Amino acid sequence: MKVDLGPITRIEGHLNVRTTIDNGVVTEAQCMSEMFRGFEIFLKGRDPLDAQQITQRICGVCPYAHAIASSYAQENAYKIQAPANGRILHNLIQGANHLYDYLLHFYQLSALDFVDVTAILKYTGKDEELLAVKQWVQAELSRKKAFPAAPFLPRLSGQYINDPELNIGALKHYLEAMTMERKANQAAAIFGGKFPHSTAIFPGGCTQEARIDLIAAYQALIREVRDFIRDKYIPDVVAVAGLFPEYWKIGVSRGGFMSYGLLPMTPDPQGKQLFAAGALLDGQVTPVDFGQITQDVKYARYSSASGRTVRDSEITPAAGKEGAYTWSKAPRYGGKMMEVGPAARVLVDYHQGNNPDLKALVDKCAGQAQITPQELNSVLGRHLCRALQAAVIADFLLAETERLDPGAPTMAELAIPESGEGFGATEASRGALLHYLKIEKGKIAKYECVVPTTWNASPRDDQGQPGAMESALIGTKVATPEEQIESVRVVHSFDPCIACAVH
Amino acid sequence: MIHRRDFLKFAATLAAVFGLDALPEPVLAALKKIDPEAVPKLIYLQGLSCTGCSISLLQAVAPSPLTMITKYSQLVFHADLSAISGAKALDLVDKYLSGQAGEYFLAVEGAIPEAMPEACYLGDKPFAHYLEQAAKTMSGAIAVGACACDGGIPAAEGNPTGAIGLKEFYRKRNLTGKLVINVRGCSVHPDWVWYTIINLVKIGAPELVNDAPKLFFSRKVHESCPRYHDFQEEIFAKKLGDRGCLFKLGCQGPDTYADCPTRWWNGGRTWCIDSNAPCIGCASPSFARRKDFPFYRIGEVNK
Repeated sequence: MKVDLGPITRIEGHLNVRTTIDNGVVTEAQCMSEMFRGFEIFLKGRDPLDAQQITQRICGVCPYAHAIASSYAQENAYKIQAPANGRILHNLIQGANHLYDYLLHFYQLSALDFVDVTAILKYTGKDEELLAVKQWVQAELSRKKAFPAAPFLPRLSGQYINDPELNIGALKHYLEAMTMERKANQAAAIFGGKFPHSTAIFPGGCTQEARIDLIAAYQALIREVRDFIRDKYIPDVVAVAGLFPEYWKIGVSRGGFMSYGLLPMTPDPQGKQLFAAGALLDGQVTPVDFGQITQDVKYARYSSASGRTVRDSEITPAAGKEGAYTWSKAPRYGGKMMEVGPAARVLVDYHQGNNPDLKALVDKCAGQAQITPQELNSVLGRHLCRALQAAVIADFLLAETERLDPGAPTMAELAIPESGEGFGATEASRGALLHYLKIEKGKIAKYECVVPTTWNASPRDDQGQPGAMESALIGTKVATPEEQIESVRVVHSFDPCIACAVH
Repeated sequence: MIHRRDFLKFAATLAAVFGLDALPEPVLAALKKIDPEAVPKLIYLQGLSCTGCSISLLQAVAPSPLTMITKYSQLVFHADLSAISGAKALDLVDKYLSGQAGEYFLAVEGAIPEAMPEACYLGDKPFAHYLEQAAKTMSGAIAVGACACDGGIPAAEGNPTGAIGLKEFYRKRNLTGKLVINVRGCSVHPDWVWYTIINLVKIGAPELVNDAPKLFFSRKVHESCPRYHDFQEEIFAKKLGDRGCLFKLGCQGPDTYADCPTRWWNGGRTWCIDSNAPCIGCASPSFARRKDFPFYRIGEVNK
């Protein structure tokens, strides 16, 4: 039987997954991204300096990652480099955005797949916030309403956590996490101007100054967020893993892994990074070569040529194209399907032994859970990788603030050349993000974005290889084929963003 | 006897036709008395959007987002927060949009792809279908953010989808009977939306200027800018990162109506101009529209 899981909620955007179920097992899956705006088309002919503003609007969940990727691409095209302060401010803004995004993903977007919200009715404690929620749910259920306690009910049928204490603890953290996300974003906006959609990030640095009052406020906010990550977020992920250990084996993608590296530790963004770049295929890591990236469109709604490289990319929408089932292209690396995102970032870094703190955390948690690092390629693995990176990033950001030189310049001087080109690569919270820009006659002649969910929610390529999420869904056992909470948990572990994927 | 619901519909129609100020006093008074027990149910739908406005709404400080969606309103459906998904989620949305589940307000984030309906689908129907259905059953709508108000970034010059905002969409369909409140910004400031909802609950429909709540959008950024003094004294920033008035770098504060200079962003801690970043006019109806009108004019300062 065929079952559409869409619209899938608690993700960004418009995603359907068309599944085929035989004997309670997913035998085929099609990721159908159902929203298209055409950024690469309307960026053409614009002022190059518009790009880090316009491309942030690809995604309001991770706008800063797009601002950074665009800034790197423009820096390469303009042949400039940010001063040391400017690069650090880029990191402080982008890093804080990762912290918020991981918390948002685990608590608001994923927790309700596992946590039983009705446990609040059994709450007997004195916490005012929880009591208010309890009273609200009680009042809702007692009224004759069409859908009481929405948006938290109704929900998909399935096995949720039984332990009332764990449930109530998780609900409390759901609420606290919202405050922590806000604080992480406040910290980012201190230097970014505002969140979402920063106005202070530019190629060549940041217009905000490295002022001591701003630095102190940033540090105080990030310290609070770091403590929450250590004391609550990581233990909550471990607790869920302990109760659903089968999810170390569910949601395994069947290709390679790629990361462009995150948070440069030198003014040159291609220098040493907190998390290293690389392409991991068959246990071997090689440096990323952007020339190896091509995008197939046999199953995507475009009539332009298939298999083009990033520099030679084309985009002609063909809404009614026969056989196409999505607006997302199918990127491949040397023809291979790749997963990007938190697990890819950790595996690529771990294999190179780049970050000792990350390696220690991975070894400790993998040991406790009795899994191998390879099993991070799973539903629980992706959740755990986010949490561990959050801890490492938070410590790095605090150390980074101490490297700022208050009063020294934060911006390079900009002059836009008549012609030029540049790649800009970074890691959004959801994975490898690439921007490419070509300038002719002082205007944008070509702009191309290959975004994390373009990889993960990729349709089949011209050779018929499924995308990462499609491959991870195949083989999933489902108890209720019409609802498939198990498949939804797999999809959520990738944290798909369709606005990004298609753009 | 006229039912309250019909009355509200009638009053909203009058308001849409004549403007709120033109309503007779008793009608206006009745419109203002919304039962606090019956908080508005919100159906929040996304079109050509980036979810930035939804994320911004979660950055609210006082009241908290949770208070807003449980006490002042009830968020019956939102793709980013709803536990339910798939066919059951569509069923929930359909129960409201078909008028079977009671009164509700529609909140729309994102533009509508008027020239390419396939560019935005929810379930097996184009986004536009849901908006057409809602026009008949909703109490009113809030267009959340630049895209829903005026098309925003998806409507930038040269776009392939023919993206338009909600009011224009309804105008084209002759579905203009309901109040549509425009809350501009890319993204919106959370206060602008949440306080508009509180206004609806506590007082009634807010006073509008250019279809947007007057409370937030009656003054230009430039008028209240803390750097207005720099402007008068001709202390201009000459390059990005300089202090001083940012006008010569392209600041669009003189042409943008919003209360950012007094409200500030992210808990009142920051805003664009305080970080030496020119206003890019994200609350302006023509935000990012024209290719020949770039955000910045860095090359012209010394000319």
